[in-house]
Amino acid sequence: MNRRSFLRTSAVLASGLAALAASLSPLRDLGDYTTLDRFVQKYYKELTPEEMAKVLKRIEAEVERQYGIRPHVRDLKPMDGVEFVYALNLTRCIGCRKCVHACVQENNQSRTPEIQYIRVLRLPHGSLDIDNAEHNYAPESVPEKGYFYMPVQCQQCKNPPCVKVCPVHATWQETDGITVIDYDWCIGCRYCEAACPYWARRFNFTKPSIPKDRLNPDMAYLGNRPRRQGVMEKCHFCIQRTRVGRYPACLEVCPAGARKFGNILDPNSEVSYILRTKRVFIQLKEEMGTSPRFFYYFDV
Amino acid sequence: MDERPPPAVPRNHTRTARVLQALIVLFGGLAVAFLLRPWANPAPLAPIPLVDKAFLDTATVRRSYADLVSAKEDLSDFDCYACHEKNKPPVLRYDANRNLIVPQEHSDIVMGHGEHGRNNNCFNCHDETNLEQLQTRDGRVLKFQDSPQLCGSCHGPTFEDWEVGAHGRISGYWDRQLGPYKQQACVNCHNPHSPRFPSRKPAPGPHLLRPPIAVPTEPADVH
Repeated sequence: MNRRSFLRTSAVLASGLAALAASLSPLRDLGDYTTLDRFVQKYYKELTPEEMAKVLKRIEAEVERQYGIRPHVRDLKPMDGVEFVYALNLTRCIGCRKCVHACVQENNQSRTPEIQYIRVLRLPHGSLDIDNAEHNYAPESVPEKGYFYMPVQCQQCKNPPCVKVCPVHATWQETDGITVIDYDWCIGCRYCEAACPYWARRFNFTKPSIPKDRLNPDMAYLGNRPRRQGVMEKCHFCIQRTRVGRYPACLEVCPAGARKFGNILDPNSEVSYILRTKRVFIQLKEEMGTSPRFFYYFDV
Repeated sequence: MDERPPPAVPRNHTRTARVLQALIVLFGGLAVAFLLRPWANPAPLAPIPLVDKAFLDTATVRRSYADLVSAKEDLSDFDCYACHEKNKPPVLRYDANRNLIVPQEHSDIVMGHGEHGRNNNCFNCHDETNLEQLQTRDGRVLKFQDSPQLCGSCHGPTFEDWEVGAHGRISGYWDRQLGPYKQQACVNCHNPHSPRFPSRKPAPGPHLLRPPIAVPTEPADVH
């Protein structure tokens, strides 16, 4: 081999290696997507308490690295003798959308792109054609004459189609009736989104962005800890609040008192009283056989 | 023997050199392309404006007398006998249509309790013998703090709902064993003089990626 061909061959090799290295360079950003700890993490239901504690530590460290705030992440289990039910009074709802934004704030949803769990539908009086309902209404003030409003979120079905289609069991129904998602197990196939008849599931198409000053540091593993790109999320009845006995955020912010929540197994709870005495008018899309735990009712 | 073709080595050398040069250019180009990745970096989304924090406020529409007392705030509005004279019931004046003429001193009060106009008599609820008290139609006398009892004396079914928490606002703990809860009084949401729930500006709706397409209000005439 003479000097010239040696130099040429080395130049080819060098540029080839540079091209290879450049083509692998996106792997440097993989840290945002997965870490080795997360990659080897076991299935949620198989984690021992010690392993769970380690996972929670890892999540806290990840959130702190990203947002500069040390959160308090817990793994909250369902309470014994509790089955949650939501009741929404269509007579009282004024369509102000405060619940939508209180939910975003409480549950650390992405602000850009925008992810919201609650969609408030506006329907003309005397109709229930929800497929043609309007959710972009923007009048000067609400309620508007001739319309009623119907907020729709995850209905926490007793017979959830989203759980049936999940190919990796990343979403399941817990004993208190909440259908949860393990964001570390979800592969982002969006089958559940397609299966849900209530348009309740949301997908993180890009990396979610939450301003630091709007991050809610009170987090739960199956609840409002920040999600990453490529996973599903949805309403979980504010697990981080309701499993420690508190009311959900959408209920507390509702200025009209249209939202009611509680334990249906307790005969003295508000929801038990409502289902016993009120004109409970629908379970949304009742004919789908999903049997929602979310009831719409009227006062009169 | 001399018919053997001349050795091909010099020609092959030229071809190899060309191939190698082409490879250098190709690999170099690929390296630059992979590093810049113009196809993987779409223009970032314009940030969606954050919602006004006023929409996240959990405060009630109004503040009740009990709220003002517990917050130790100015109660001079409820000090009736700073202006009125004791033991001398104020005289009510009505116009030709039997509508109450609200005196100038109380011009902040809008009388709108019910649409029938029968409830425009101050002393349906206020006690004329002691203006710092309330009275029900069945003769009970109540303090301002206990006003839900007064509302309930007419609005029975709603009052029953309210008592169990099915009407009105609640916050705190649904599990009464685990923590306190706060139930709001009627007057936290309803102005007793004009109780219809006030309308308000709605919070922003879902962000549209594109401006909405103008939909003709009348279906286009295709015939």
